[in-house]
Amino acid sequence: MGLWFVIGGILPYLALLVGVGGLISRILRWARAPQHLHWELFPYPSTPAGQTGELLAEVFTLRSLYSYNLRFWLPSLTMHYGIYLVILWMGLSALGVRDTAVAGAAGGVLAVAGAAALVVIRAARRETRQITAPVEYLNLALVMAIGLSGLITGWFLQPEAFRRYVIGLASFSPVLPAAEQLAPILFLEVFLLYLPFSRMAHFAAKYFTYHKVKWGEMAR
Amino acid sequence: MRKVFDDYRALSDQAIQARSPRRAAFLEAMGKSLRSGENRAFWLPYVLSLDMCMKCGTCAEVCPLYLSSGRNALYHPVYRSDMLRKVYRRYFTLSGKLFPKVVGAEDLTEEKLDAMAENFYRCTVCRRCAYVCPVAIDNGLLAREGRKIFDAIGIAPDELKEKGTRLQLEAGNATGVKTPAFRDMVEFMEEDLQDTRGYQVQIPVDKKGAEYLVMHNTGDYPAFSETVMGAAEIFQAAGADWTVNSPDTGINDVVNYGVFFSDTEFEKVARAQVRTVRELGARVLVIGECGHAFEAMKYLIQRLIPAEERPFEVKSILEVYDEWIREGRIELDPAKNPEPVVYHDSCKAGRLGGLYEEPRRILKSACLDLREMTPNRELSYCCGGGSGFAIMSKGDFLKFRMETYGKIKEEQIRQTGAGVVALACSNCKGQFRDIINYYHLPVRIAGISELVANALVRGRDRRSEGITFAQAGGGSAAREVREDHDHRGVVASPAREGDPRPGFQERA
Ligand code: SF4
Ligand code: SF4
Repeated sequence: MGLWFVIGGILPYLALLVGVGGLISRILRWARAPQHLHWELFPYPSTPAGQTGELLAEVFTLRSLYSYNLRFWLPSLTMHYGIYLVILWMGLSALGVRDTAVAGAAGGVLAVAGAAALVVIRAARRETRQITAPVEYLNLALVMAIGLSGLITGWFLQPEAFRRYVIGLASFSPVLPAAEQLAPILFLEVFLLYLPFSRMAHFAAKYFTYHKVKWGEMAR
Repeated sequence: MRKVFDDYRALSDQAIQARSPRRAAFLEAMGKSLRSGENRAFWLPYVLSLDMCMKCGTCAEVCPLYLSSGRNALYHPVYRSDMLRKVYRRYFTLSGKLFPKVVGAEDLTEEKLDAMAENFYRCTVCRRCAYVCPVAIDNGLLAREGRKIFDAIGIAPDELKEKGTRLQLEAGNATGVKTPAFRDMVEFMEEDLQDTRGYQVQIPVDKKGAEYLVMHNTGDYPAFSETVMGAAEIFQAAGADWTVNSPDTGINDVVNYGVFFSDTEFEKVARAQVRTVRELGARVLVIGECGHAFEAMKYLIQRLIPAEERPFEVKSILEVYDEWIREGRIELDPAKNPEPVVYHDSCKAGRLGGLYEEPRRILKSACLDLREMTPNRELSYCCGGGSGFAIMSKGDFLKFRMETYGKIKEEQIRQTGAGVVALACSNCKGQFRDIINYYHLPVRIAGISELVANALVRGRDRRSEGITFAQAGGGSAAREVREDHDHRGVVASPAREGDPRPGFQERA
């Protein structure tokens, strides 16, 4: 029971602290960077609406991959939608929305399938293999681990249990979930602990590479 | 020459300091480049590009070098960036120190330094890859940051430094021309114009307080004199108060090779140029047909030199012509340029400078048959003259430029069937001149100024011919440009263009 308490009752706080804190400190480091010289690429959307539109199109359709690297597009899109759905499942479940099991299950399946396909196409071609370090596979493996463990243990199908757990954590009196759910929770913690130090923080980096560099701030 | 990376060498053994150990100095310089206070100019895009590449390979699918080389692994954009990234991880990140194998960190050796220095001079920093990267990672910028580190330890191509920025700062221009010789060239051009055009064109030199100071790439005076003479005709036809300047006034060369390899050199040249313009008291600095100079003066200096220290406007010569044509200040008769013309988008003027429509509007007014290569505009392929390559021809480097980047352009030109390639950048002109010779293409290059000057309707003709022209029905409909452009161009559907050549398609 001791280990279970560490994983279920102590580690979540640490993981959140490191994950969120680390991410914020990294973002602050970027935000406080000295203003670099103009380095934009034309054309770019210069209105807030235009920029938001491009951003959403990129997030939800992975347009760059579709246009220029089709091979990666569908697997990547599948994995990303899986991740979006799992996050949605967590948010809705924590808020007490019922019947979110479908989102959780679908999210898990898509994330695992997408990540697996990405491993395969990455490894299958000389060109991508050559530019790949083991850490790339590790990142994908972590996504698969969360998805698979969440599916196998039925975690994604139990929004009520998740809500109870979150409320317990939020009130600083953790209610430990069933022991078989140790795995997904542990992997999620690892993910959070690792996030700020890894490339998986690219969703935050994109704000800077697009808004601050590629799009610049000069109207033309 | 000794092989250190591929079959070519951009840097001699001497330039690369092959005999002395450079590793420690390199690491120290790299350490500096990673501290925000010591790399203020580009720290943010630099660290983002080092840290956030997802290794998806999208960049390679659009890189002209990678594609034209038949997908040579050595020329993969990420392979080049990883040369720097591996060192970064190994010496400057905790994960790389703890788990080098896992994160792809590698020790730096002297051999790797040689290869790296060379490879940073294979990419033209055209930034086509950065335009399409899902995370907007910039492999071009990383190549340039790599060059900066090498420059900091004294390794740079002498074409760009000793005979480039250093010569320019000392002599006023990177061609080393002195004032008497410069004035001779100008006089010669005036005579030439008198002979060929049959009327007098004056090229004012060092006129203080003129509205426009037109600064060309000084190399254009001897190498692309039609551009310089064309500009003179146009400025005179517009009745503009203008001047060019001699080395007596400071810097009379608009180039700034620091853009290609060194922020320090860049800043020195830019400041000297700004000082010259101020002292001459011009209201507008007109950037001649030179792509990187436009990037430098229009964009890069903005946050480097405070606005109050540069009390003048900066305009590309293309913007000036475009305005004058639209205002009716100069009048053109496109029938005077009947040959099919194709415009090549210089990366620096286009993707990096935003000048896409100006050259097209100008050329539509000046030529009967304007064509497009595909892809074009923001997806234009770099010609291979970029980032200094056009003036680098040591050893087999010319062959490198021709067999890679040049091959793509050669095909593109052929497909348009144009007889004239219109260019707005000196480096492009140099590269296309070489491509035409190398591939025996039945085409010629022309500067925008040359084509516009050739189409000028002057003085008395202006009224009479205007009528004839209108009566002849030579309206704009007769010379609609072949609009091949769409946002995705060939990229989304290579099959549509039916290009059969290997290595040319964006997707295999
Ligand atoms: S497209 Fe961008 S993220 Fe993908 S491998 Fe190239 S630089 Fe990295
Ligand atoms: S900047 Fe241009 S040449 Fe360099 S890697 Fe990117 S696409 Fe290739």
